[in-house]
Amino acid sequence: MISIHVKDVSFSYEQGTEILKHLSFDVCKRESVGLIGANGAGKSTLLKLLVGLNPVDSGTIQIGEYSMKKQYLPQIRAKLGYVFQDSDSQLFMSTVYEDIAFAPRNYGLSPEEIDQRVDQALALTGIGHLRDRQIHRLSGGEKKLVSIATILSMMPEALLMDEPSIALDPRNRRNLIHILNTLDLPKIIASHDLDMILETCSRTILLSDGEIVCDGPTEEILRNRELLETNGLELPLCMQASGR
Amino acid sequence: MSRMGNAIYEINAMETLAARDQWMNHIHPLVKFILTVSYIAVVVSFPKYDLSRLLAMAVYPIAGFLLAELSFGKCLRRLRVVLPLVCVVGLANPFFDRTAVWIGNVCVRAGVISMLTLMLKGIFAVLASYLLVATTTLEQICYALQLLHLPRIIVTQILLTGRYLTLLLAEVNRTTQAYALRAPNQKGVHYKVWGSLTGQLLLRSIDRANELYESMTLRGYTGDFGYLGAHMHMRSQDLVYLVIWCAVFAVVRRVPVILWVGRFITGV
Repeated sequence: MISIHVKDVSFSYEQGTEILKHLSFDVCKRESVGLIGANGAGKSTLLKLLVGLNPVDSGTIQIGEYSMKKQYLPQIRAKLGYVFQDSDSQLFMSTVYEDIAFAPRNYGLSPEEIDQRVDQALALTGIGHLRDRQIHRLSGGEKKLVSIATILSMMPEALLMDEPSIALDPRNRRNLIHILNTLDLPKIIASHDLDMILETCSRTILLSDGEIVCDGPTEEILRNRELLETNGLELPLCMQASGR
Repeated sequence: MSRMGNAIYEINAMETLAARDQWMNHIHPLVKFILTVSYIAVVVSFPKYDLSRLLAMAVYPIAGFLLAELSFGKCLRRLRVVLPLVCVVGLANPFFDRTAVWIGNVCVRAGVISMLTLMLKGIFAVLASYLLVATTTLEQICYALQLLHLPRIIVTQILLTGRYLTLLLAEVNRTTQAYALRAPNQKGVHYKVWGSLTGQLLLRSIDRANELYESMTLRGYTGDFGYLGAHMHMRSQDLVYLVIWCAVFAVVRRVPVILWVGRFITGV
């Protein structure tokens, strides 16, 4: 298991328009962190920085013993599992098995180990019945669970998830929450689904216009109606209901 | 379904066919690839007036379709655009080659024979290719190419182009559907928006392709699909299948099978 350290990180796609501004935070081993914020707050961009898909303009990112440098990207990416927001952008092989086996094969595992990893990932996500299905025949929710399985087969030491509950029906969403709570890994979950964040993350970081507005216990932040509304969010539905 | 929707459906249907758990699908991809190339080479090598011997080459696609339990009807429907084009190739022959040839008591122009031969060659080649694609996934075909020592970069290009094609079609489908829903009285896309639509399509498909590439690199992809077919092994039955068909091709190429069968039936 690894820890993630972000120190004074800034990022812009083009000069003059900073997307992320001087962000600093640490994610310790076994910690689950929710990343919330209105659209365009910089959540997805931050996650992409953590896996080195975009280079930081300034500041440092440390993933375990590796600092974010080009020569360490393979090691960093082997340790971090990143679930994309859009499953269609994540899945590219023809069958579920092939897609889940993609990463273990790239890491040179034996056929027996690959099979074992695939079966484990399928069991963890509860989609064993989809093993030999064609990707294009899956529903949106099934694709999302397969996306998560493709990452779990890497046996990552930390998970980064961008809107993992999108496209899931209530039952699959509940299943996902159960999976996330079962996984004993540090996690950063970017989501607008504040109810899910409440159930899965002990700590939450609130981003607004590329800056960290608040970083603290999830319960505390998600109960603060004023804070949330000022930053373009609302109380989680479960709290809205109980407040009535 | 829209044309694009149809195209995507057909590509997906072909992938489903190729991924079936069926005897023919389990034959080693290299065997199927070599057989297809050899078959096409043999078919193309027939002299232009050798129609009767060429006809015997139909045995491979026919047997293949039966063994693979493929539907001829669906195949013809899928190839409805290609097959007429293939047939057009020799259409001018009867006009240029007017030599008279007697078949029994019937006199025909040699050009007609060569036209039919050319058409048959095209049809056989297309059917053999269809047989390969319908029983072998793109990954398996690429694996066979890798085994033939085609440069890895080319194999990867073929594989990614195959994947990219579906993405591009899906984007075209989404864009044209969105357009049609807001222009219900129009037939097709108005020429004034062709430019912006193409631009949007290009940008979107580049974005999508970029995301896919990111997804691959995050899962350890370093530039080639070195593991393709790591679980596939050449079995003795694959080799037997290859040898039998090569022998059949050689016999049909050298011996006038149809003529012998004709003589046997008619007793002449």
